[in-house]
Amino acid sequence: MPEPLRIPADAWRDHLAHDPDAFAGLFAAAGPDGAPEVRAVLVGDAVRIVATPAVDGVVPSVVDLLPAADWDEREATDLYGVRFAGHEPHRALVHHPDDRALWATPVEGRDVHRVPVGPIHAGIIESGHFLFHVVGERVLHVDARLFHKHRGLERAAEGRSPDAALRVLSRACAGCAVTNAVAFCAAVEDAEGRAPDEAVRRYRTLLIELERIWNHLNDVAQICAGVGLTPGTMAFAELKERAQRVCAALTGHRFMFDAVTLAGAPADPGEAARRDAAAEVTDIAAEAAATARQLLFDTSLRDRTTGPGVVDAPTARSLGVVGPAARAAGLAADSRTAATHLWYPEFAPALPPTPHGDVSARLEARWVELNQSAAIAMALLGEPIGPGAVHAADEGDGHGVGIAESPRGRTVCTVELAAGAVRRVHLRTGSYANWPAVALAATRAILPDFPLVNKSFELCYACVDR
Amino acid sequence: MYVLLTNLARMRRRIGLTRQPPASCAIRHVDAGSCNGCEHELIAAGGPRYDLARYGFAITASPRHADVLLVTGPITTRMLEPLRRAYASMPEPRLVAALGDCPLGGGVTAHPHEVAGPLDAVLPVDIRIPGCPPSPDRIAEALREGLAGLPRERRPW
Ligand code: SF4
Repeated sequence: MPEPLRIPADAWRDHLAHDPDAFAGLFAAAGPDGAPEVRAVLVGDAVRIVATPAVDGVVPSVVDLLPAADWDEREATDLYGVRFAGHEPHRALVHHPDDRALWATPVEGRDVHRVPVGPIHAGIIESGHFLFHVVGERVLHVDARLFHKHRGLERAAEGRSPDAALRVLSRACAGCAVTNAVAFCAAVEDAEGRAPDEAVRRYRTLLIELERIWNHLNDVAQICAGVGLTPGTMAFAELKERAQRVCAALTGHRFMFDAVTLAGAPADPGEAARRDAAAEVTDIAAEAAATARQLLFDTSLRDRTTGPGVVDAPTARSLGVVGPAARAAGLAADSRTAATHLWYPEFAPALPPTPHGDVSARLEARWVELNQSAAIAMALLGEPIGPGAVHAADEGDGHGVGIAESPRGRTVCTVELAAGAVRRVHLRTGSYANWPAVALAATRAILPDFPLVNKSFELCYACVDR
Repeated sequence: MYVLLTNLARMRRRIGLTRQPPASCAIRHVDAGSCNGCEHELIAAGGPRYDLARYGFAITASPRHADVLLVTGPITTRMLEPLRRAYASMPEPRLVAALGDCPLGGGVTAHPHEVAGPLDAVLPVDIRIPGCPPSPDRIAEALREGLAGLPRERRPW
């Protein structure tokens, strides 16, 4: 991909507002002369990177035009010191100042009080802090204070070779390990002008779908846990375990760590191994469907999941919601439809039967997608899945964007290579895109329902915090 | 629901887990910057396949009645204070276990400015459970071995 299209500051807002749906994240970087600039990724008919200089450290904010840019701009301010004119007051996102006024939204009024929760939670859950502003049980607003797990992984990866950078980023998140690795590899290959052969595309697609299968099984288990329905939790935990064993049998690792590389795809595991894996995936999908039917008749689950935490289609669109959460709102958005670097012939997004955008719709979305992913995985397992290579073209420097659909939605990785090393890498995962929607959904439920609403999205903290 | 419970009971009979003499050990988990892999395996260890509870291990909601603080992640600067506070609120005698390569100094390659770990640099570590992540059965085994290797007066039972 060529250099980003550089846009003067006074045209920045108009340029990004032209097609709001194309916005796929923005971030700060050092421009060609080392001066700070802000880059945005636009995914329309084509994928483009556009940039504007930070004049005296300031860039015009687009947050009023594109609410989806809220966290991106706040992160760029905290980590790179770029200010966004019009995005005031700046509320810290990655930084954690002691003074609440510097990061939380003031919510005042009669009987308003605050309920702080976390960063350490009661169960085995990732660390993150939520400040609920409530009246009685009604949630007026939530400030999600994440980034407790910030490890500076992008900066740790920069300056390294693409292979070494991949090793750093591959530990960003276990739940999205494959997707993140595929997005990064696709970005590097895009920058270098290389293309994976068919075997590599099939291999990576298979791993992404297996990752989605174990994640979705996990998410259904978690939603059952959110309503205290232990038999459902245990049944789906067992199915997740079986799915992870398939992953381990095919790649040697239960989370498929380090299975995706820039080199391509390893040798085919053999027909017997593929047949066993396909049989197990078929069985898991059948049992998940049967168990789901059992759960459908469970009135306590239906009562709790129907209604709370609605994110409807217009809201989802303006907040840039992706993945199952977007499809549960009725948006037919799925980056797999355009994933030419992967293997999705005749792919169409699967929508749940009642896409009302509530907890129940997000639960149904998982069931529908489980079947779809199992079908894709079984088709891929029917033929050899390796070895494969990534064809060299004009290896060299440049910019690249890699996109892959994680279990939580579209993940966009942007890479800049210079002198054979990663100069800048930015990873905007499906979870990153969706967290603001969780905070909004919380205001459409009572406080005791927050854990359930949260689990219906089941977003990662790890790959958001990075 | 009946079918669900019957299926689970059948699965449990089929995998034939062994039982142990009763013991009790309350564990408080703190995520200090993990990739969530160690959490997934810890949850699995408590699930129907591995059943951590059969050894007397229970995950407690509060550090105030925990015997063991089980820490994951490379100890990010932002989790240092909450981690210290969790440790401070535990009753004596208290134990600290490092779950995964990250708190042991391996695992993730973080930016040096953003981490305060390894866990050794922050708290006294009694039990080490290497792996990226350690498998659920390995977690159960390592906890049991680690506790068995401690002097009598430091064990929670
Ligand atoms: S040890 Fe490995 S699996 Fe565990 S948190 Fe660290 S990187 Fe993740």
